[in-house]
Amino acid sequence: MEELALELKKRIIEVLNLEDVQPEDIDNDAPLFGEGLGLDSIDALELIVMMEKDYGIKIKDPSAGKDIFKSINTIAEFVTKNRTK
Amino acid sequence: MIQKIADNIYSPLGFTTAENYARVKQGDSMLRKYATDHAVSGSDVARLDLPEPFVASLFDWDKVEPMEGYTPFERIVIQSVKRAAEQTDIDLHSPRVLLVVSTTKGNIDLLDGHNTNFSDDRLQLGNAAQRIADYFGIVSRPLVVSNACISGLSAQITAMRMLETSDYETAIVVGADVQSRFIISGFQSFKALSPAECRPFDLERVGLNLGEAAATIIYNKVKRVAEDSWQAVKGAVRNDASHISNPSKTAEGCYRSLRSVTDGVDRADIAFINVHGTSTLYNDEMEAVAIARAGLQDTPINSLKGYYGHTMGAAGVLETILSMHALDEGLVLATRGFEELGVSRRVNVSAQNMPVSGNAFVKLLSGFGGCNAAMLFRKGGEA
Amino acid sequence: MNVRRWVKITPTEAIVDGKLLDTKATGAALLTELYRNYTNDYPKFFKMDELSKLGFIAAELLLKGEDENHAEREDRAVILFNRCSSICNDRKYQDTISRPDDFFPSPSIFVYTLPNIVTGEIAIRHHYYGETAFYVLDEPDETLMRQVIAAAFADDTTTSVLTGWVDCETHDNFYAHIYVIDK
Repeated sequence: MEELALELKKRIIEVLNLEDVQPEDIDNDAPLFGEGLGLDSIDALELIVMMEKDYGIKIKDPSAGKDIFKSINTIAEFVTKNRTK
Repeated sequence: MIQKIADNIYSPLGFTTAENYARVKQGDSMLRKYATDHAVSGSDVARLDLPEPFVASLFDWDKVEPMEGYTPFERIVIQSVKRAAEQTDIDLHSPRVLLVVSTTKGNIDLLDGHNTNFSDDRLQLGNAAQRIADYFGIVSRPLVVSNACISGLSAQITAMRMLETSDYETAIVVGADVQSRFIISGFQSFKALSPAECRPFDLERVGLNLGEAAATIIYNKVKRVAEDSWQAVKGAVRNDASHISNPSKTAEGCYRSLRSVTDGVDRADIAFINVHGTSTLYNDEMEAVAIARAGLQDTPINSLKGYYGHTMGAAGVLETILSMHALDEGLVLATRGFEELGVSRRVNVSAQNMPVSGNAFVKLLSGFGGCNAAMLFRKGGEA
Repeated sequence: MNVRRWVKITPTEAIVDGKLLDTKATGAALLTELYRNYTNDYPKFFKMDELSKLGFIAAELLLKGEDENHAEREDRAVILFNRCSSICNDRKYQDTISRPDDFFPSPSIFVYTLPNIVTGEIAIRHHYYGETAFYVLDEPDETLMRQVIAAAFADDTTTSVLTGWVDCETHDNFYAHIYVIDK
């Protein structure tokens, strides 16, 4: 899980152009949206693309993203459960 | 003063304003569901090669006048301008004629690589506009307005001001966009599209439909506006200063532009507000907030996206023309797709074609980049 | 109409009011260098496309010292012109959809496939609620541009216009020349 968490952090930083953020800056349980990294709706849509590209998971309903992308841990759990790649 | 002397709508619903207006009044639309496994007339949709189905109002390109050496976008612009110009006796070769082209993506479909007849310079909007100007022998340099989805009003506002403040006497404003893999896939990535026909302001709305069209309005600078003619009275563009794609929760830009054009105007004279009404959750809610903030909750409002989908650069011109013809008959057109109000402010959405009183209407649009436009039109000059 | 400060940015240099800034990088890296040296407090910069980065940083240099608090105003319009629209980013977006077996349309790239987004980025940063507009010309026609700006003042609310040419053909080929014109 820790390996996946690190992989996710690196990919998220890359995919969302978080230039000044290092993986060690992101706490596994910290909220990604609103406070914390301050991600917004476009970031959420881009994460949906990342889920399909990297892990073969199709998220049809964008509002499902709210729960899935809450924190690195919730994403890691979701990926572990649903990945097809 | 700025007076309309001619107009044309060139769309999947017909090639004249009269045809379009009649079909809209009847409740018709060319919104269809397209999926790559369906056989569709013309290979154009199959060419789009999109994995997800979508609903759109598209041309049957076999019916659009063939014009060798011109791209699909240029063809519909030329056909629309031609039909509008033919209704007037303006000298297109006069340096006092300004061509204003409103478009979001112009010839972007060329990036697909399917159409190898055109070189890359056609991607350049100014170049495409120049070819159109050259077709008509228009001598002054054309101005292209690329201001996202508000381009059609932005272009009319700029045209109006250019006529008022410089030497031009006539402005031909044409708005157009053609759909493409580029645009449709982009909106799909935003999850902004509805899988069914759109439902502006409705409780069940889930997204927009896309469309393509060209529409032209020709304006003249006049000393006094004729009684049965339309005047472009005032326009305003304001930014939300909030987010590049999400509308402002307080409808800042939409409200400020609406306030600007209705300031000092007798509310009773505003027959209706033709809104942007794309049928996305956020846009329609935002416009309801703006209208409520402006104290215009009782004014009839309507959206025309249910007939054509969102025609991007054409929308502002096309929807203005239909609104003018509706008010010519003392009507506000039905909001096709609307049944039950689904926004947080009580606004007066017209579900049917309805009689209205008043000589003026307001057109609203909002677009990516946080921009919002409002424009006031009046029949027959100052009240 | 009075022109106040002006800024020029090319792939090799940045000039503010005639003074050449001390920079080392070129091309896209120059824009990042300018950001680091003169702004560096706006992480959204790195999400922008090249055209928006160019316009954004040019505006930062132009407006430096004018109002550090970015008090909101509705009387300043942001009206920009170019030749290439958003073609540089359009090609980048096309790349995310061109291969059917690698079809991943990117929303964060798509949102920048409109040239007017740069005017929105400037409005957001500086809290400008006024008019924002973008025009495309096949070449920098000073006369036409001046007419459009003069026309912008026909809106009574507008007393100041941030305007000029902001063009980006490719990542390393761009040009910006912007200034503020007051009524």
